[in-house]
Amino acid sequence: MGAMAWKKLGKIFDPTEHSLPNECHQFAQAPQALVFDDYVRVYFSTRAVDKNNGKFLSHIAFVDFAKNLRDVIRVSDKTVIPLGKLGCFDEHGIFPMNVVRNRDAVYGYTCGWSRRVSVSVETAIGLAVSHDRGLTFQRVGDGPVLSASLHEPCLVGDGFVKVIGGTFHMWYIFGTGWTKYAADAQPDRTYKIGHASSADGVTWIKEEARQIIADRLGALESQALPTVIDIDGRLHMFFCYRESFDFRINSARGYRIGHAFSDDLCNWTRDDLNPRLDVTPGAWDSHMLCYPHAFECEGKVYLLYNGNEFGRYGFGAAVLV
Amino acid sequence: MFKWKKLGKVFTPQEVDGRPWLKEFAQAPSTLLFDDFVRVYFSCRPAADSLGQYVSYSAYVDLNRADLFAVRGVAALPILELGGLGTFDEFGTYPVSVIRNGEEIRAYYGGWTRCESVPFNVAIGAATSGDGGRTFTKMGSGPVLSYSPDEPFVLSGPKVRRFNDTWYLWYIAGRRWKRVNGRAEPVYKIRMAHSADGVRWIKANKDLIESRIEEDEAQASPDVCFAGGKYHMFFSYRYSTGFRSKEYGYRIGYASSHDLIDWTRDDAKAGIDVSEEGWDAEMICYPHVFEVDGHTYMAYLGDQVGRYGFGLAVLEGKLE
Repeated sequence: MGAMAWKKLGKIFDPTEHSLPNECHQFAQAPQALVFDDYVRVYFSTRAVDKNNGKFLSHIAFVDFAKNLRDVIRVSDKTVIPLGKLGCFDEHGIFPMNVVRNRDAVYGYTCGWSRRVSVSVETAIGLAVSHDRGLTFQRVGDGPVLSASLHEPCLVGDGFVKVIGGTFHMWYIFGTGWTKYAADAQPDRTYKIGHASSADGVTWIKEEARQIIADRLGALESQALPTVIDIDGRLHMFFCYRESFDFRINSARGYRIGHAFSDDLCNWTRDDLNPRLDVTPGAWDSHMLCYPHAFECEGKVYLLYNGNEFGRYGFGAAVLV
Repeated sequence: MFKWKKLGKVFTPQEVDGRPWLKEFAQAPSTLLFDDFVRVYFSCRPAADSLGQYVSYSAYVDLNRADLFAVRGVAALPILELGGLGTFDEFGTYPVSVIRNGEEIRAYYGGWTRCESVPFNVAIGAATSGDGGRTFTKMGSGPVLSYSPDEPFVLSGPKVRRFNDTWYLWYIAGRRWKRVNGRAEPVYKIRMAHSADGVRWIKANKDLIESRIEEDEAQASPDVCFAGGKYHMFFSYRYSTGFRSKEYGYRIGYASSHDLIDWTRDDAKAGIDVSEEGWDAEMICYPHVFEVDGHTYMAYLGDQVGRYGFGLAVLEGKLE
C-alpha cells in the first residue's frame, strides 16, 4: 500500500459564530456528511443547557457547505430531530447521528443518551428516517435498534452504517465496563469497536463483543466513532482512541485519530501512521483530535474531525493527498 | 369460571432469621419440582437505604412436596449477585423464572438499574445453575433480552417455558412513562419472544392481551401453562393511577390461546379475587400456576405486592 497523507484544511465551522436551534450555543461534535448535487450537508451534535440541573443536552443540527467545504450556505434553523420521550434511551441527547441514503430516504442512526444514577450515562443506537432530504427525521420507534446485550453490557453507540453488496454493515462501539480509578473520582468507561450486519437496516445481528480493532494503548484504550470508506478498493477505518481516565485535560492521554484497513470486512489491520493525522502545536487542534468522519466529494477523500475540548468550538477538515 | 380454593399464606419473609438481605417481600413466586420437595423462587429485599431506596435479591424456599405448608428450608444466600458498576442489574434481580435444561437449570430475571429522569429501568438477564438451582452464574454481564423500537424500556416479569422444543419468554414491556402526582409511573403490556436456544430471542412485537379496564392499564406477570388442549395465561392487571388502593389495585386476569400468538381474554373466568379480609384483601397479583401430583395450584401475592409473602390456592377441577 502506498503512502497516504492528510493535508489539513483548518477549522471550517465554529458554532459560536452562528445561531442554532434549541438554544444551542457551543459544541459542533462528530460531523457527519451527506453529499448533495451542489452542496455538502454536515450534521453535528451541539449542546443546550438543561434548565433543570445545568447538565448538557445534545441536539442534532446541520450546516450546508459549498463543495469547497469552505463557504457556508446555511445552518439549520429548526429542529432536525427532537430528543426522546420521558424514560427513553435518547431522552438526554443525540450524539452523534450518522446518515446514510437508502433509496429515496435518508436513514439517521442516532446515538441516544440517557442519564443514570450510579454512572453518568447509558447509550444505545436508534434509527430515524427522513423523507425530506434530511431536513427532519422521524423515529421508527421510541426504543433503540441496537443496545446492550449479553456480552456487550453497556454503552452501545456511535453507529456508522455503510451498505456493501446489499448488506447493511454497522461499525459501532460497545462498553466493556465502568471503573472508578480513584476513591473520589467519577466512574470512567472503556469501549471498543464492534460490528453488526443487517438485511434491512432495522434488525441487526451483532458479532457480540468481538473487538475488531487491536488496542494500541492496551486494555484500557477506549476506541470511539468509527468511520469506514472505500479507497481504491480497500476499506479504511478511521476512529479515535484515548486512555480510559485522565483524558479530558491531559493531552498526552487524550483522543487521537486511529486508522485500520481491511480487504475482507472481517479482519482489520491497525496502522495509525499511514495516513497519520497529528496535532498541530498552537492551532485549534493542538491538544486533541477526535470524532473523525471520512467521505468522498468531487473525487477527493475528506476527513472531518474535532480538535481541542471535544469540539466545543467546532470542527475542521483534512483532505487526502 | 375456574374455582380456586384459597389455602392461605404459605411463606412470610418477616419470619426468616439471619438473612439481612431477606427482610421483607417475597414476590413473584415461581416453582421448580424436585422428587420430594417443591422449590419456590421469589424475590425479596433488605431494608431500604437512607434515601428510602431498595435493592432486590432472589432466593427460594423449599416446601415439602407432600405438604406444601411445611417449609423445609430457605436459601442461605441470594441465588444471584447484583451486577457491577453501571450494568443493567446493578440494583436488583427481580423477578426470576427458572426451567430445567438437561442437567443445568436456567434462570431468567429482571435486572434493575436506576435512572435520573425516571426511577428505574429493567432488562432481562439469563443465568445458569450447576448445583441444582441453589446458586446461578450469569451468562453475561449484559441482558439477554433488551430494548427495541416498540419495547423502549422496562422489560421485566420474565416467565420462561419450553413447548415443542421451542423456548418462550413471556414478559412485560413498558409503553410509556406517565406522570402521576409528580411521580413517573410506567405503563406496560404483556409481550412474548421465542428462541431455539434460549439465548438468541425473536420478539413477537405484539401486545398479546387487549387492554380492558383502560387504555393505560398496566399488565404484569404473565404465567403460561398448557392443559386440556390449549394454553392458559394468568396475569395481573391494574389501573395506571391510584393503584396503591383496593379499588384500583392489582387483580388476576385470564386469557387462553391455541397458538400462543392470538389470545382471548376472559377475566371473568380467572376465578380468584381479593378476599373480604386478611393478607390478600386489597390486591391479588403475580399468579403462578403449577401442578404437583395431580393437583393444580396457584401461588400468588397479596397486599403491597407481596411485602408480607405469598399464598397458595388449589384448583377444584381441571384447567380446560
